[in-house]
Amino acid sequence: MEHQEHIDSLLERYLSLLDEYMRLREDLSKLQSGVYQNIARANFTGERGMRYGQDHYDERMRAIRVLGIDEAGEEAVPRFTIRNLMADAAGEGEKDDEKAESKPEGGKADVTLSAQGDSEATPEADKTPEEQDENKAKEAEKKPKKTKKASRNPLHWYGLLAPLPLRTAQTLSIQAVEQVIPRLVSVNAEMEHVEIEIRRARKKRAKAAAVADKEALGMEAVEAR
Amino acid sequence: MSSQADYKDREFLAVIGDEASHSPSQGTSRAPTQLLRDVFRIRRHRHADAVPLAQDSVTGLLLAGIGHITTGAEAQKNFLVVDSKTETTAIESAFDSFTERKDIGIVLINQHIADRIRHRVDSYTAAFPTVLEIPSKDHPYDPEKDSVLRRVRRLFGE
Repeated sequence: MEHQEHIDSLLERYLSLLDEYMRLREDLSKLQSGVYQNIARANFTGERGMRYGQDHYDERMRAIRVLGIDEAGEEAVPRFTIRNLMADAAGEGEKDDEKAESKPEGGKADVTLSAQGDSEATPEADKTPEEQDENKAKEAEKKPKKTKKASRNPLHWYGLLAPLPLRTAQTLSIQAVEQVIPRLVSVNAEMEHVEIEIRRARKKRAKAAAVADKEALGMEAVEAR
Repeated sequence: MSSQADYKDREFLAVIGDEASHSPSQGTSRAPTQLLRDVFRIRRHRHADAVPLAQDSVTGLLLAGIGHITTGAEAQKNFLVVDSKTETTAIESAFDSFTERKDIGIVLINQHIADRIRHRVDSYTAAFPTVLEIPSKDHPYDPEKDSVLRRVRRLFGE
């Protein structure tokens, strides 16, 4: 009875996972058909027979969405997530910008303070041209370097002004890659794990039933004597 | 279930998908008249809207930014574009290569392409990378062929 309850609870969990799997499959199908439709629309409206396909792939492409796998809980079922490297980089960039913005203000304050204090001691006019050049060089080093990062957006393989349907296709594809696919794979992994548990529980139940049968036979034999 | 070393470096998704085989740029080695005929055929089909020209599984997924080509002398792609000329052995070797690579966590493969190497896909049982069959433009998702649903049926004794 105890074994049966455990199996029932596992089956209940398994069926809820199956339901989620089917829903995710449906979502993936919808998103992908949206992607295909929009790519087809972009190809249809493309100038001079431009085809938005493999001919324009960047041979130096780098992934901007990468996978993160961690094992959740004691059951050690892998959980898949997608990380956007560009967003991470932008976040860090913003932090750097904030620091850079706050620094010059502080720097200016320091400069004004020191200028007030040292103005009499070392006026700018008294400096030699060599010293002035050195100061300029130091100031140039202090300024935050503005390096232009190469865009890794796949949309730019097809030019800077990609058509709207292609942008829509990208949005739908991102949705599929970030939300549906990792969840689908995680649910699949969890289903595999529950399947193993169900099979184990069924074996235990079968063993318990066999032991109970043996005991019953033994009791019958004793009674017959 | 799996050791941490099995998955900690796996950060890419690999794709084996279909793509249009009728592209004007693919006919660069053809005679100019043949090329023109191809272009006209493509234009005609574009307007007829009856014959699907493009099957853009790979392009669609790469637009999301999962495509990656490694640097170095032996640049490795994490995607394979399958067209009408691609041989089954090439698909098999790409599948083997993707499932053996230590930096790939998920292999996405079109269901109808997986059918071509069904024995290989069904006999693959490793936890990482995990294989996910996805629908394509002309071949919608078929639950009958889904390995997960087959597992479900087996569990319930069908």
